[in-house]
Amino acid sequence: MVAAPNHTGSGNGWRKSLARLQAIGIDAVLIAMALLMAELLIVAFSGRRGPTGLLLSAEEILDLLHYAWAALAGLALAVVWHLFHRWLGATPGRALVVGVPEWERDLEWTHTLRGWFAAVFIELTFFAGWLITELDLVAFLTKFSKARDIIYGLAQPSSSVLHEGLVLLVQTIFLAFMATAFAIPVAFVLAFPSARNLTRGSTSARIAYTVARTFMNFVRAVEPLVWALIFISWVGIGPFAGVLALWVHSVAALTKLYSEQIESIDDGPMDAIRATGASTLQVLRYGVVPQVIPPFLSFTIYRWDINVRMSTIIGFVGGGGIGYILKPRVDLGEWGEVGTLVLLIAGTVWLMDIISAKIRERIV
Amino acid sequence: MSAVVAPESTPQPAVRIADLGMVYPGGVRALEGVNLEVEEGEFLAILGLSGSGKSTLLRCINRLIDPTEGKVWIFGQEVTALSGGELRRLRRQVAMIFQQFNLVRRQTVLTNVLSGSLGRSRLLPSLVLSFPPNERDRALQNLERVGLGDRAGSRADALSGGQQQRVAVARALMQEPRLFLADEPVASLDPALRHSVMRHIEALNREEGLTVICSLHDIDLVERYATRLVALRDGRVVWEGLPGDFDRGTFKEIYGEDAEPASNTGF
Repeated sequence: MVAAPNHTGSGNGWRKSLARLQAIGIDAVLIAMALLMAELLIVAFSGRRGPTGLLLSAEEILDLLHYAWAALAGLALAVVWHLFHRWLGATPGRALVVGVPEWERDLEWTHTLRGWFAAVFIELTFFAGWLITELDLVAFLTKFSKARDIIYGLAQPSSSVLHEGLVLLVQTIFLAFMATAFAIPVAFVLAFPSARNLTRGSTSARIAYTVARTFMNFVRAVEPLVWALIFISWVGIGPFAGVLALWVHSVAALTKLYSEQIESIDDGPMDAIRATGASTLQVLRYGVVPQVIPPFLSFTIYRWDINVRMSTIIGFVGGGGIGYILKPRVDLGEWGEVGTLVLLIAGTVWLMDIISAKIRERIV
Repeated sequence: MSAVVAPESTPQPAVRIADLGMVYPGGVRALEGVNLEVEEGEFLAILGLSGSGKSTLLRCINRLIDPTEGKVWIFGQEVTALSGGELRRLRRQVAMIFQQFNLVRRQTVLTNVLSGSLGRSRLLPSLVLSFPPNERDRALQNLERVGLGDRAGSRADALSGGQQQRVAVARALMQEPRLFLADEPVASLDPALRHSVMRHIEALNREEGLTVICSLHDIDLVERYATRLVALRDGRVVWEGLPGDFDRGTFKEIYGEDAEPASNTGF
């Protein structure tokens, strides 16, 4: 096909300046981050001590950094780099948003400022990360004895809790099953407006896409644990609260997986069905659904598997299932009983993993 | 050629295309200033290199793609002005088959064929794959017609390429179309199987007077089946004529100086 020269005319200039602004924004953030990480390293290695006389903790250092100055300096440096990008080479932001000029493409990374910036940035991230997460190799290698009791306890499971554990394990499996089952129809319906390829047609479709996606991302961002707390105060402590918490989370997760599957279908059959004069619903039913049902099933089984694992944690806060009796035993340090329960959970997860893998193999 | 209806009896051409242009959202121009008339009963072949705009042109006719410029009429009705239900009603008269067959691979051959009747089926039953018995009978008849009556229950992807394209023809027949669009119908088939599909399209044209617009890039097939040719290059019509007028010079004009006919076609 022929490339249309300058076809979009006036829209182009506007779009170009927007892209440049975006690029400067990205660069400003990246440079500011690099500056802050550098400052963090300098403060950490300066040996400064806090009011208590101890070396500063990661939190205290993070609190000391000059964020506003870094932002300003980042912006200033980003602008300067953009102004002189013909001599300095494209900035990371330009490379992402605007593109790299021909002559720069074949250069080794060591021959571009962008390459050096990226290298330094990655190094800084690693060292800053080491400090911020307070990695302590010495403790890891020398203080094993404190955890010995727990590991010995886990290795000697006691049978006293076996009966109760098995009963609640059944509850856990069903809890996960109900949450998954209720999530399927909701996620199935929401997946269609959440798929980019089905929502390009009209403005209303694009609005539906944005609304569905935003909502789902929000729901997914809230941890199931938080949902559990919400539903526990709503319907009371017990497995039903767990079902609801996992249901909400599963709806969001399955919607995302389903819609991504819809986005990857072959649109040929859709065209063919549309060409027969079929309506939108019929196109979805005949052109899309048959293509996505097997992967949907496979994702759903996988989700059930995840829900069994998650329901343990949900049980910790009162959402029913085996986690509910695990928590007090952890608190009391009954490591033998904890060991029994952990083994029960691990065995179930292992079994479900095998079964779901087998089923998925069959389907796809 | 007895089925070709004389122009006087049909004041409206089957398809009329005026100043059609298409620029894709990325800024790529696929069609420019295309003007074309197709009389009822013609078998029009569209020639051209890949990327010359053949596919876009066919898809603009039934509005699988919305052209950015110009107008299209089918049987006197302006397609480019239709929307929603009207467009769907018009599409029922316009069947289309594709290079990649575009069957739903996991479904049975019969369901694939039945989906050709969706345009006139009632929405709710069709959503649960329920079709009236007479549609089933017709689907089976159409399968018989393309020689696949015994494969109704097979999964579509169990069939060979040639068979799949014949299923697509049967699906198209379910529409009882007046116009038949074929986008490179045999390009992904083994050369030996091409005629098995083309013969069915030819029969529809010669025996039932169906108007056919078919993009092809094999000169052999064009000479054998088409009643008229149109050649596209870079999105423009560069040549129009009868199969007999097509010679080496025209070939170079359409495909460029470096091109050679792929097989010995006698010129």
